[in-house]
Amino acid sequence: MGDRKRSYKAEKVIERLGKKLNRQIVGSLAACVHCGMCTRSCHYVLTNPDDPTYAPAYKADKIRKLFKRHYDWTGRVLPWWVGAKSIYTDDELEELKDTVFGKCTNCRRCSINCPMGVDYATFNRMARGLLVSVGVMPEGVAVVSKDQWELGNQMGVLKEDYIETLEWMSDELATELEVPGPLIPIDKEDCAVVYSINPREVKYDPRTIADAAKIFYAAGEDWTMPSEGWDMTNFGLFSGDDDLGGAVAKRLYEKVVELRGRTLVISECGHGYRSTRCEGPNWGKVDVPFVMESSVNTMLRYIKDGRIKVDKTKNTVPVTFHDSCNNARSCGLFEEPRELLQLVCTDFREMYPNRNENYCCTGGGGAMSMSEYTNRRLKSGRVKADQLAETGAKTVVTSCHNCVDGLTDVIRHYKLGMDVTQLVNLVANALILPPKPVVVPELPEEVVPVAEGLELAGKTILAVDDEPDILVFIAAVLEDHGATVIQAHNADVGIELARREKPDLITLDISMPGKDGGFVFEAIRNDPELQRTPVCIISGKPELRRLIYDRAVPPPEGFLEKPISEETLLLNVRKILELAHVKKS
Amino acid sequence: MAIFEHGAVKIEVDEDGFMQEPEQWNEAVAKALATTEGVDNLTDEHWKLVHYLREYYLKFGIAPMIRKLCKETGFPLKKVYELFPSGPAKGACKVAGLAKPTGCV
Repeated sequence: MGDRKRSYKAEKVIERLGKKLNRQIVGSLAACVHCGMCTRSCHYVLTNPDDPTYAPAYKADKIRKLFKRHYDWTGRVLPWWVGAKSIYTDDELEELKDTVFGKCTNCRRCSINCPMGVDYATFNRMARGLLVSVGVMPEGVAVVSKDQWELGNQMGVLKEDYIETLEWMSDELATELEVPGPLIPIDKEDCAVVYSINPREVKYDPRTIADAAKIFYAAGEDWTMPSEGWDMTNFGLFSGDDDLGGAVAKRLYEKVVELRGRTLVISECGHGYRSTRCEGPNWGKVDVPFVMESSVNTMLRYIKDGRIKVDKTKNTVPVTFHDSCNNARSCGLFEEPRELLQLVCTDFREMYPNRNENYCCTGGGGAMSMSEYTNRRLKSGRVKADQLAETGAKTVVTSCHNCVDGLTDVIRHYKLGMDVTQLVNLVANALILPPKPVVVPELPEEVVPVAEGLELAGKTILAVDDEPDILVFIAAVLEDHGATVIQAHNADVGIELARREKPDLITLDISMPGKDGGFVFEAIRNDPELQRTPVCIISGKPELRRLIYDRAVPPPEGFLEKPISEETLLLNVRKILELAHVKKS
Repeated sequence: MAIFEHGAVKIEVDEDGFMQEPEQWNEAVAKALATTEGVDNLTDEHWKLVHYLREYYLKFGIAPMIRKLCKETGFPLKKVYELFPSGPAKGACKVAGLAKPTGCV
């Protein structure tokens, strides 16, 4: 048997199969007893009852025979007994492609219903990966994988377009809420939450981004969106390419580490959640030093902690909930979305079967990218359509972007007339927004004080100084507090103005050209009409104080050294005036 | 591969109903495809959107971002969904004769 010539690709597939075998896969490949339990759990079988090629055990045998032939002793010893067979041509690989990509959505419903614990979906994914490694894959898978490898996201969205879209949604939301933006912070460091999304949101339907931003705003969350690595979807999960899976997951992890984010929140996407939170660290072989959670948990936490308030009467249309295979069967996320739904909707109707027994939407975490299998997909969707119709609900809610598109296709094909939405939309719609922040109008820069009620109101002060700057300073400070200030730039003018205006206080410089401050001081003290007028000396030359204090007249009421601060000037002027008032009375 | 027929229009489409040969597109084809999207009457607003998508696709070979679509046509996001209830990716792009958008949509 081994003599027959094998194609290069077939040779490689068999060789690489040996490297993929781990305990879980070997257990699944060895354990099948062909009991047929899986046939009753598969939506492909239920809708194609006369076609045995859809039976999970039949599909599994196509991979199992290779394992038995090349890696299991039973197949080497008794090949005819255990159905061991090899693979030789590229045509056979194409046939295998048709099975592993086109006849199974990897929903894992058969896996949980297998009494022997055979996880068919897991080795179906492995087989996809083997084919991808030799370039045998549907064109849609190749295109998407290429975009994710080369552009960092599966829809070829460029960085500037991504950022422009976030800014657009931020502006729209700020306008809606009538609050100042931006409401979507990009690349903010040390945030409690880093929010990652599916490129579908930014490319075709950014309403979910705006709704999420609204919820973060209402919760007062310290959050951000990364400018790079933002695609939490991972085509490695769908195509079975662990290298791609690891590379994509690491891009996001590294960005979160760079931003020092504490929690990575993954928007509602089944295969994104599974690959980022559950599988990514293994594919990428990394430890992740932050918490990861689905936005479903985040929203539920906000309500339970009282960080957001919701009014469920805003959502009165009867709704049902569809469990995403990746969220529910693979990651156990099925109670949280129901709890959240009960809090934000008035009429929730359960779908049967539900939770980890729910049927696939047909989207299969990426199956929509392969148009060649759409007819099979829609045919298998009859199971889902029957389930949906029985609920009597008008809207089906799901926490997965693939499911949104898969369900939309099924609903249209079977003319069910239902809407599809996500929890983020319902929570945002039920949100009771916090009162708008009170905006205190800023006071105009130049405040012109009213003379009434100010501490120096009604006082006339004479400032004598030869330096114009000092005069302006003194006048400005004192006038600000209500005083009327008269300015004199030399001794003679000072004495003249003092006699004429009879000020309540005189500030006096000592060193002035011509007659100095001492001269002025003595003249004032010797003038019967002015001798009781308080005088405050303001001098930059304290060594000249004897020019004042040596004179045979009562000393000045105050003495300040330049440079002089506004506070010192004010305090002294006020104190001197108060004392003068006490003396007078 | 399938054949889509509506009135005098007969074109090849993929299994999702997207044109296989986008160069065969014309306004009659658009009208025929619109019926599969629940749009029986193409208004001036529909045409504005369809023509923009078409021009962008011919120039760049891919569908534009929704941001570009709204900016260039002046339509708010809501309006796009009113015009094509199945959304820009599947509804509007199909009518404008684009190939099926790549990715999980």
